[in-house]
Amino acid sequence: MQDCAIVVEGLVKRFGEVKALAGIDFTVRRGSILAVLGHNGAGKTSLIDILSTRAKPTAGHASVCGFDVVRSAKQVRRRIGVTGQFAALDDAVSARENLVVLARLLGADRQQARTRADELLDLFDLTAYADRPARLCSGGLRRRLDLAASLVGTPQVLFLDEPSTGLDPVSRSGLWETVAALAGDGTTVVVTTQYLEEADRLADEVIVLGLGHITLAGTPAHLKSQLGSQVVSLTVKDSLDADRLLGRITEWGLGVDRPTALTITVAVTGPADIVGLVRITDAESISLSGFTVTEPSLDDVYRSVHRSMVVAT
Amino acid sequence: MTALSQTDWGASGFPAQVRILAWRGLRAELSDWKLVFFGLLQPVVLLVLFSQVFRVVGGLPGLAGYGSYVNFLVPATMITIALTTAMGTGAALLAELYGGFTSRLRCMPVSLVAALVARTLADVVRLTAQLVVVVAASYLVLGFRPAGGVLGALAAVALAVFFGWCLDWVFVALTTMVRKVQALQAVAFVVTFPLMFASSAYMPITAMPLWMRVASAVNPVTYAVDATRALSAGVASVSVVGAATGAAAAMALVGGLAATRAITR
Repeated sequence: MQDCAIVVEGLVKRFGEVKALAGIDFTVRRGSILAVLGHNGAGKTSLIDILSTRAKPTAGHASVCGFDVVRSAKQVRRRIGVTGQFAALDDAVSARENLVVLARLLGADRQQARTRADELLDLFDLTAYADRPARLCSGGLRRRLDLAASLVGTPQVLFLDEPSTGLDPVSRSGLWETVAALAGDGTTVVVTTQYLEEADRLADEVIVLGLGHITLAGTPAHLKSQLGSQVVSLTVKDSLDADRLLGRITEWGLGVDRPTALTITVAVTGPADIVGLVRITDAESISLSGFTVTEPSLDDVYRSVHRSMVVAT
Repeated sequence: MTALSQTDWGASGFPAQVRILAWRGLRAELSDWKLVFFGLLQPVVLLVLFSQVFRVVGGLPGLAGYGSYVNFLVPATMITIALTTAMGTGAALLAELYGGFTSRLRCMPVSLVAALVARTLADVVRLTAQLVVVVAASYLVLGFRPAGGVLGALAAVALAVFFGWCLDWVFVALTTMVRKVQALQAVAFVVTFPLMFASSAYMPITAMPLWMRVASAVNPVTYAVDATRALSAGVASVSVVGAATGAAAAMALVGGLAATRAITR
C-alpha cells in the first residue's frame, strides 16, 4: 500500500435517494495517471469532491498519501492540488496576484510567493498576461491559470475535474503534455473526463464509472483488447467494384458495412481475415484507393459498456 | 516542460490567513472605481434625502438640545450606513462563498473562518472611508456642527465602525445559513428595516406608539445611535457607550458562533 497514492474502499456517496457513488474500490499508484471516465451524473465529480476533502462520504473510506480524507483532511489538503470544472480564480485581481495570494496562504513569504508566481507564469506561457485582471482572460488562459494555481504548493496528488472541457484542440494537447510531464516528475494525477481520446492518450489506468459503480477498469490497451475486434476499411474507385466486393465478402462470412458508395468496412478478428480480404480483392482484380486497419477506440469500449448497462437497468 | 521547483514553506497561521485574505478583499474592492465611487456616494445620498424629508422633525420638543435636525441626524446616519454596509457584506459574501475562489480554499489548508473574518475586516475599512466622507460632506454641505467638536465626531465614527463590524457578523451568519440569493434578500430586508426604523435613529422614541418604544428598547441600533449622538454632542457617559458596545459585541458573538457552525459543517 506504500506505493499507493490513493486508496478507495467501499466508497458511497448518497444525496437523499440518489446514490452518486454506490460503493467503489480502487487504488492509484504513486506517479501514475488515472482517468475516470463516465457520462454526466456518473459520479465523477462526487468522487473528486470526496478525495479533495470538499465533501464527506456517506460510507466507506478513502485515503490520499496515506491520510484519511475525513479524519486527516488537513494533512490531505497540504498535499493536493485541484482544478475544477469551473476555473476557480479571483476575477478582481491579476493573474500574478492570483498565484501570489495562494502561495502566501500556503505559507510562502512575499519574496517566495513572487518567485513562485513568476515560475508558474513562465511555465504556462502566461508571462505576457501576468498583469491582466483574471476576469479579462479568455477561457483557455483561465484554464491554464487555474492549472498553474493548483500547482502553487507542489502537490503530490493532482485532481483534474474535466480539465479540457471548453478548450480548443491546441490548448487541449498543451494541457495533456503538461499533465504527462507532471506525472513524469512523480506527481500522481487523477483526471475525470468525458473524452475517451483524453483517457487513451494520458492515462496509465482507466476506470469507467456508470451509475455510481465501476463498470470497467484496467489499462487503456486492456480495455480495448476486451472489445476484441479491429475494423478494416476498404476504399474502391468504382461503385460497381464496391457492389462486387460487398457480395464476395458477405459470401465469405464476415460482417460488412457500406458507409459510403465507395467505402466498405469489415469487422475482422485477426490477421487471417485481413490476408483473406487482400486475396479476395486480388482475385477479383479490384484496384483499391485505400486500405486501413483501425484499432477499437475507447469510444467503442465506452459505448458497448454503456449500452449493456442501459439494457441491464 | 521543465520540472517545477519544490516548495518548502511550512504553513500559514490563522492571523496570517486573515491578513492575506483581507488584503485580497480590499484590493478587489479598490480595483473597480465604480464600486469605490458609488460606495462613497451612497451614504451621502442617504443623508441628504433624510435631512430634507425629515426636516420638520427638527421642531419636535425632544430635539431642542441638538441645535438643528442635522446634528441629530448625522450620528444616526453613521449607524444606518453601518447597517447598509453590513447588508452589502452579506450579498458580497454569498457571491464569494459559492464562487470558484472559496471552492479552492475548501481544498487548501486554509481556515474558512479566516476567510469570514477577512471579509468583515475588508468591509470595515470600506465603512470607515464611507463614514469619514459622510462626516466631511455633512460639515461642508449640511451645516453639521457637533457640540463635541472634531474629537466627538471621530469618536462617534469609531463607535459606528465597531458597531458595523459587529453587525457584519449577523449578516455573515445569515448568509452562511440561508445560502440563496433571493432568500438572503428577503431575510436581509426583514432584518434591516425594523432595525433601522424601530430605533431612535430618525424620530425621538417619545414620539412613537408604545409597542415601537418597546421594540426600540431591545434594538441594538438604538443604543448605538444614542452613543454616537452623545459622543458627537460631547456628552457621552460610560454607561451610554458601554451599553452600545456591549449590545454590539453580543450581536458579534452570536453571529460569529452561528457563522462558524454553519461554515464548518
